[in-house]
Amino acid sequence: MTFEPGDNVRVLPSEKPGHVRTPGYLKGKAGWIESLVGEFPNPEELAYGFSGKPERPLYRVGFRQADLWDDYEGPAEDCLYADVYEHWLEPGEGAPT
Amino acid sequence: MGGSPGGPIDRGQHEVEDWERLADAINAALGGKGLQTTDQHRRAIESLEEYRDLSYYERWVAATEKLLVEKGVLTSDEIDERAASIRRHWGEP
Amino acid sequence: MSGHHQHERAGRTTSPYAARIRAIEALLLEKGVLTEPEVQDSISYMEARSPANGAKLVARAWMDGRFEELLLSDAKAAALQLGMEPEHPAEFIVVKNTPGVHNLIVCTLCSCYPRAILGRPPDWYKSFEYRSRAVREPRAVMREFGFEPPEDVEVIVHDSTADVRYMVLPLRPLGTEDMGEDELVELVTRDSLVGVNVPRS
Repeated sequence: MTFEPGDNVRVLPSEKPGHVRTPGYLKGKAGWIESLVGEFPNPEELAYGFSGKPERPLYRVGFRQADLWDDYEGPAEDCLYADVYEHWLEPGEGAPT
Repeated sequence: MGGSPGGPIDRGQHEVEDWERLADAINAALGGKGLQTTDQHRRAIESLEEYRDLSYYERWVAATEKLLVEKGVLTSDEIDERAASIRRHWGEP
Repeated sequence: MSGHHQHERAGRTTSPYAARIRAIEALLLEKGVLTEPEVQDSISYMEARSPANGAKLVARAWMDGRFEELLLSDAKAAALQLGMEPEHPAEFIVVKNTPGVHNLIVCTLCSCYPRAILGRPPDWYKSFEYRSRAVREPRAVMREFGFEPPEDVEVIVHDSTADVRYMVLPLRPLGTEDMGEDELVELVTRDSLVGVNVPRS
């Protein structure tokens, strides 16, 4: 695993075509690793009938709502968690290099 | 989809029709036999041109059909023919 | 479910896809791709699942601290313990509401939902409006369902984007200390398991 819980990460701003499980609203956003969910076959490949192997690490990644939406109406503590595959993440600001 | 503007949420619940139960079941049965995967079905749904115009289970049926035709299990023509015959039997145009 | 081969009466269905899925079923059966028992089993599978399962998991957790721990650390094991059959290979995670935290579940990409436990999701959960707005304005969405968490309660939204299915463990309502498990089950609504509302009290 590349990442540990607590690591700062950023979701890649990639516009790769085809079936992906990384929602548009998270692309390019900064968050943190909450936990490793496990390893699963890559859905982007399963979607086209490939085996999806080798399995990829899937993380629960936390984001501050205030960082996701300019117009977020709610306290600064409000968060969102999404499940993001490792190959969609890079180390974020403040992360050890 | 996430974060796009949206109107009020319709909290009504339509009664699930038999054909919708069947759509669910065919999808699950094909998955159970390894003939299609959830990810393939999702991809097929996302690729539907008519995505916004179809209801939830209509999208499911369209996607299941797309996959079956892609895999050479059925042809669109034979589905058309059989669907037309079924509608005649029901007394529909 | 008996009668699944009965034809819908003309005019009762409004969708051209009704005939289409019947046609697909007929052709798949004729070609031996699927068998009737396989189709029937799939229908029965979904009919057997409902929010009552989620309510039982919650009521047991409210009554039993060790079960709650299991539900929060290994929800599949907790479900199996109560005779339920969680989905595989997706993960099943239960997130706990506390006096300081309220959780809300959504799947913006499609309609991922713990179907193996709770059955079919409600129409609103699958709607474009819920999927769009729940991530961006969860408090406004909950208000539409008649629930408003106080400002000092943190709202956490979980977008089931990949191979995880989520359910909320709601807060036990006050004044229920003397209730038995069967009574507690009745308080847990489907909406409280998704997080758009809280249990009855």
